[in-house]
Amino acid sequence: MELKEQINETKKRPEMGQAASPTQVHEEEPRRKIDNYQLYRAAHLPSTGRVEPFLKAFDQALNHELYRFPLRTYLETCAKCGNCILQCHLTCDDASNKSYLPPIRSDLLRKVYKKRYTLSGKLLGRLVGAEDLTEEMIDEMYESFYRCTMCRRCALECPMGVDNSLITRVGRVCLSAADMVPHNFRISVESQLHGPARNTSAIPEKAFVDTVEFLNEEMEEMTGLPIRFPINKKGAEMLYLAPVSDYIMEADTLMGCAMTFYAAGADWTIATGPASDAINYGLFYDDRRLQQILEQLYEAVKALEVKRLVMGECGHATKTQKIFSEYFGGKLPFEITTMFDVTAEYIRTGKIRLDPGRNTELVTLHDPCNLSRMGGISETLRFVLKSAVSNFVEMEPHGEENFCCGGGGGTVGFEEIYDFRMEVAGRKKAEQLRQTGARIVAAPCANCKKQLRELIDYHKLEMEVLGIHDLVAKALVLGSQDEEGPSKRVSS
Amino acid sequence: MPTIELAGKTYEVDEDGFLQELDKWSPEFAQALAPQEGIEGELTEEHWKVINYLRDYYKEYGIAPMIRKLCKDTGFNLKKIYELFPSGPAKGACKLAGLAKPTGCV
Repeated sequence: MELKEQINETKKRPEMGQAASPTQVHEEEPRRKIDNYQLYRAAHLPSTGRVEPFLKAFDQALNHELYRFPLRTYLETCAKCGNCILQCHLTCDDASNKSYLPPIRSDLLRKVYKKRYTLSGKLLGRLVGAEDLTEEMIDEMYESFYRCTMCRRCALECPMGVDNSLITRVGRVCLSAADMVPHNFRISVESQLHGPARNTSAIPEKAFVDTVEFLNEEMEEMTGLPIRFPINKKGAEMLYLAPVSDYIMEADTLMGCAMTFYAAGADWTIATGPASDAINYGLFYDDRRLQQILEQLYEAVKALEVKRLVMGECGHATKTQKIFSEYFGGKLPFEITTMFDVTAEYIRTGKIRLDPGRNTELVTLHDPCNLSRMGGISETLRFVLKSAVSNFVEMEPHGEENFCCGGGGGTVGFEEIYDFRMEVAGRKKAEQLRQTGARIVAAPCANCKKQLRELIDYHKLEMEVLGIHDLVAKALVLGSQDEEGPSKRVSS
Repeated sequence: MPTIELAGKTYEVDEDGFLQELDKWSPEFAQALAPQEGIEGELTEEHWKVINYLRDYYKEYGIAPMIRKLCKDTGFNLKKIYELFPSGPAKGACKLAGLAKPTGCV
């Protein structure tokens, strides 16, 4: 069954052909709870017929060339030493809820693995922690695997090298095969793959262009310069790819990048259609969707004949490109880089000049896990930020040891667990923010920006969230620049 | 599909309480929903300015405007928008205006 059809049938799901497919929908029915927070909504979720598709997907993952060795190793290797509990933002300060503990969560899948794949599990069952998968376990996994943000901080200190986030991810992939997919993923991915606008926020092209024209006017008003977002400029050197939600939420980040390009005299463009949106929620729950979204994107980028794809301020989208572009995209006729690398290069080569004296308030940096722990660019983020501000303080811990904002792994888009994100998942981050004493936290990721704004509001912190390029724009010296301006806008 | 009952009428909403059909909206809907979004008493002229702007933009463009554009065109800064709609521009103002919930990372 295609996702598109599922969306159209949210009111009443008809019977489906395959016996193995989920067949029932129930609304407002309580599911197994793991904590006192609002449970994931049940309206679109099946309650039976899930075991078989789940196990089929699990078998596939265990034999998949990307996952088989690490996954089997992680499932067979856990000393239950508890080091990860001290690293996890959910459990480091309060480990009283055992459902939140990384090894207990991973055991949900481990039990099934043991029963299905190990001789001792087959023979001795529960005595060795092996269990057959049940519908009830699937409900528990759904709650549990979506409480983990897959930030991988636990993997830093595991003496056995276990990466619980891979287990969470494979758990989510198996749940997706059983049609257990959070509402926001479902509708956003549907909109991106099949909607008329081909982006996760369903922004129609007309609205997208209107927004960009508004930003053009704003930039001209602010600077007196004809700074523009070129749209669909074929053959441009660079395509700037932001999460499309920035076109609703993050005017200053977008304008900061446009102004940086302008100041450097760059040949660049943005695009409408599939190449308007960096977001790839497939990363969080479904490799097939991940692949489809990448293929659709690459086709659009190739058609524009650009030389470089420049990822905007977005953690998971950058990680998706770093990890999966070659595997799913093959040899691409363009390079993939990040806006942070581009701006850092402009600063180093003197193509742009920043005056940090224009940003004097105390600024701290939130390291998005997908950029600093998993993307290897924490020093680049610091170089750019410190070039733009004069008063910087590190959060503790930071860099690759940074704590998750509490909304990672796609969970920031789930309104139904807002309280959980504020009170449990974001508790550590709120405390870290408070300790810095900073007035501004730079968060170079759309996901983190949203979560941090909500945290600051909820925990009543005196702080503002900005992107790195919001601050770069304020520091940018435009006066001595070439007045010819950027390339003319080419509208499709 | 969940429903809510407001001022004696039943409305189909999504699971976050957003109205599903733009044309089912009425000023009474907005007024009746207001207390749930932390607004006490009658909606003021300033509330209606935001609500009407959002509805007009949505009719023309099929989506809520960029937050900065909302601020600019209504003349209210973000702080003022939060004062008017304590649950924020998306969760509060758009919901009262009867717009569908924005999806994605919003």
